[in-house]
Amino acid sequence: MTKMTIDRTTPPQPGPPRPYRFPHITRATLDNGLRVLVAENHSAPILSLRTIVKSGADHDVAELAGLASLTADILDEGAGSRDALRLAEDVGLLGGALGTGADWDASYVSIDVLSRNALPSISILGDVTYKANLPADGLDRVRSERLMELLQQRDEPATIAGKRFAGLLYGTGAYGNSVAGNPESIARITLDDIRRFYGSNYLPNNAALVISGDVTPEAAIDFARRSFGEWARGAEPARPQVTPAPIDSSRVYIIDRPQAVQSEIRIGHIGVARSSEDYFAISVMNALLGGVFNSRINLNLRERHGYTYGARSTFAFRREAGPFVVSAPVRNEVTRESVDEVLLELRRIRSGDIEDRELEDTKNYLIGVFPATVQSASDIASRLLDMELYGLPEDYFDHYRENIDAVDKDEIARVANKYIDPERVLIVIVGNAAQIREPLATLGYPLHEMDIEGNPVVG
Amino acid sequence: MLQIEQYELGNGLRVVLNEDHSAPLVAVNLWYHVGSKNERPGRTGFAHLFEHMLFSGSEHVGNNEHFRYVQSVGGVLNGTTFFDRTNYFETLPSNYLALGLWLESDRMGFFLPALTQEKLDIQREVVKEERRQRYDNVPYGTAFERMLHLAYDPDYSYHWPTIGSMDDLQAASLDDIRDFFATWYRPDNCVLTLVGDFIPAEAKALVEEYFGPIAPGGSFPHFTLERKPMGGERRETVPAQVQLPRLYRLYHLPKMGTPEWIHADLLTTVLSGDKASRLDRSLVFEKQIAQDVAAYVLPTEATGMLMLQATAKEGVDIEAIERAIDEEIARLARDGITADELTRAVNRAEIEYAHQLENYDSRADLVGMLSTYFDDPTIVNTWLDPYRASTTADVAAVSAKYLVPENRATSFFLPGK
Repeated sequence: MTKMTIDRTTPPQPGPPRPYRFPHITRATLDNGLRVLVAENHSAPILSLRTIVKSGADHDVAELAGLASLTADILDEGAGSRDALRLAEDVGLLGGALGTGADWDASYVSIDVLSRNALPSISILGDVTYKANLPADGLDRVRSERLMELLQQRDEPATIAGKRFAGLLYGTGAYGNSVAGNPESIARITLDDIRRFYGSNYLPNNAALVISGDVTPEAAIDFARRSFGEWARGAEPARPQVTPAPIDSSRVYIIDRPQAVQSEIRIGHIGVARSSEDYFAISVMNALLGGVFNSRINLNLRERHGYTYGARSTFAFRREAGPFVVSAPVRNEVTRESVDEVLLELRRIRSGDIEDRELEDTKNYLIGVFPATVQSASDIASRLLDMELYGLPEDYFDHYRENIDAVDKDEIARVANKYIDPERVLIVIVGNAAQIREPLATLGYPLHEMDIEGNPVVG
Repeated sequence: MLQIEQYELGNGLRVVLNEDHSAPLVAVNLWYHVGSKNERPGRTGFAHLFEHMLFSGSEHVGNNEHFRYVQSVGGVLNGTTFFDRTNYFETLPSNYLALGLWLESDRMGFFLPALTQEKLDIQREVVKEERRQRYDNVPYGTAFERMLHLAYDPDYSYHWPTIGSMDDLQAASLDDIRDFFATWYRPDNCVLTLVGDFIPAEAKALVEEYFGPIAPGGSFPHFTLERKPMGGERRETVPAQVQLPRLYRLYHLPKMGTPEWIHADLLTTVLSGDKASRLDRSLVFEKQIAQDVAAYVLPTEATGMLMLQATAKEGVDIEAIERAIDEEIARLARDGITADELTRAVNRAEIEYAHQLENYDSRADLVGMLSTYFDDPTIVNTWLDPYRASTTADVAAVSAKYLVPENRATSFFLPGK
């Protein structure tokens, strides 16, 4: 038998909060315009090295969708004096892992490495960033792999849902494509296209270098000069326009997967850019709505109804306005009910019906969790990249927590009304059409069906 | 060198402390030494369903309040279930250490009074949706489950995955849940690890206050964890809703932490992971017949397993993939590996280990594992030693001994359903 010795009926009171400071950042600018950011941290023998190039898939035209990410893929097919295999071997001998990639806003090269090998690692990072060989056989390889990847995505319901949702929201504009492109565009891309994208975007005055971890700022900046100093400046690339057309009324699209045992639901519309002055208020509002486990949407769909393993809402903060989307995989039988519950939560957040406790809980979460999200060298490196990419003020993370704390109920209601519109939503559902078509028709919105490539299904 | 202290409460709870003030955080981590291997055929999925139930409240903590208490002070939390153990963890601002201990001790000592049929029904539905989302509605989602069925006999505890079967989940009753709790969830079957910003004397006093009064349990049920040899290679072909054929392999190994398991861990890095590794180089980079390959060992306590998988490109026969893999494995057994390959593999182990120690949460989980399986959390300071001491001959030898047909199960997932 257990016996009571202390009062378990109420949670224990916390001790006094311990002080926290975001790591000090040392900044430098090389003669060629490259910005260098260093965060020193000797708690682990690790270095996170990142180059960010401020051009991503937002530069892709529809015919060449996937160009930015295919360019990133080919960077490790040889650079400087090393061919692809030699590069992989040498990074391995330094105790490193090399990564390259692109998302909507930027392209990246990264090396996470044992800090005792700092200088040769930064030198390789420089080679891969601005001395990539871009060989023809490398393009053959990455193209073939990309085509296979796109083929495999035909069986991934969550991927299909995301692609079709973006396509319907943004049309042929950049955010309407996929970062990975499509089979036709990938087949079309030539080595010249890649060389042109690389030559006009991978420029020191369109980039930043982040060095985070077990190194002194003096040594890091010296290494940066030696490895990146020869990178030649160029004309700064023009920023592409992303011009989405907001939808004026709600509509439903079903994408049939006859064998599906779940419906992948996406509900939303165009959101807001990272530069929004309402960023903090939107962040708190979304966390309360569907951004964390204990948010309204997840508690409703998962914990109250058992419809799903997890549901969430997201504002994709990009350089231009990315989507606002609620996503949930639910079992076929409750597809219509789940849509209803999501719309109900979107309406409720706009009504101003917000309890003091849930607002305090949400803000305390965002404020309290911050130190835990920036413990590792690579986590800190990611934050520094964000600062550079989105032009955040130098003391941004020093004031992050107080900016969250300043959001009040009126602000929540105001930004919910401004940025969420449940009466003009796009609803995309990948699922078993025979089973979900009729219930969804009763929503009263125009209902369309399309195949997984986005072609209308007739009859 | 991490400062590690382990001690035991009167009720058998093992406590491990690692004081570190570099961030104002504390990781609270509990390893219960129970997982899907402690289930019986026909009653699978219990350990994992039970993990869900432990978030649905206890006598002094309301339904969903566990999540709320932790998140509302800026904590992050979760739980996971594996063959051999179930872990529960939260990372909190360090001034909330007592809150974490209160919550964890309440569900260890006072769970049953709060258990209701309604909570079970909801969590059963959530787990069924988890199964649909992660296994049944995605390509290759059931491959691991199929491989376990193939490689382990029906009465062996690794025969089924932690998620369990839909039928067994449906059949789980409140009494089953109560029995499971009484049998396994007790202080003498648990390791509590604290890593981070606390004063050890204060932490010890709090741990004693919250966990000390909880009674230990009775005897443990007996499980046979001795695996019978397969008696020859096992193979199957599975028609599936997939675009590309994929080969799955399981090679049996000694259990985690044995010298041969460590050599096999290094071997997997020689085989896969970057362009210069053996299988990536041959199948993906040079011949370009495979879309991807992967090889890894799993941290299993009862018996070891090396997993290998390779996806064929469109139009490539899976048999060609298998031949190319077997050629590379034969070459490795015949010619051994180079000193550079060994260096790269040891480096990889070193940096992955450094990453694991970097954050309090993953460090606490590692320390909890070492205490649970080896009863010695200080191994955290010496774990890499046997990796660094390994020779090229060790790695070649483990390959020649275990990566052989009679020791493997092979499954082909082929497009066609």
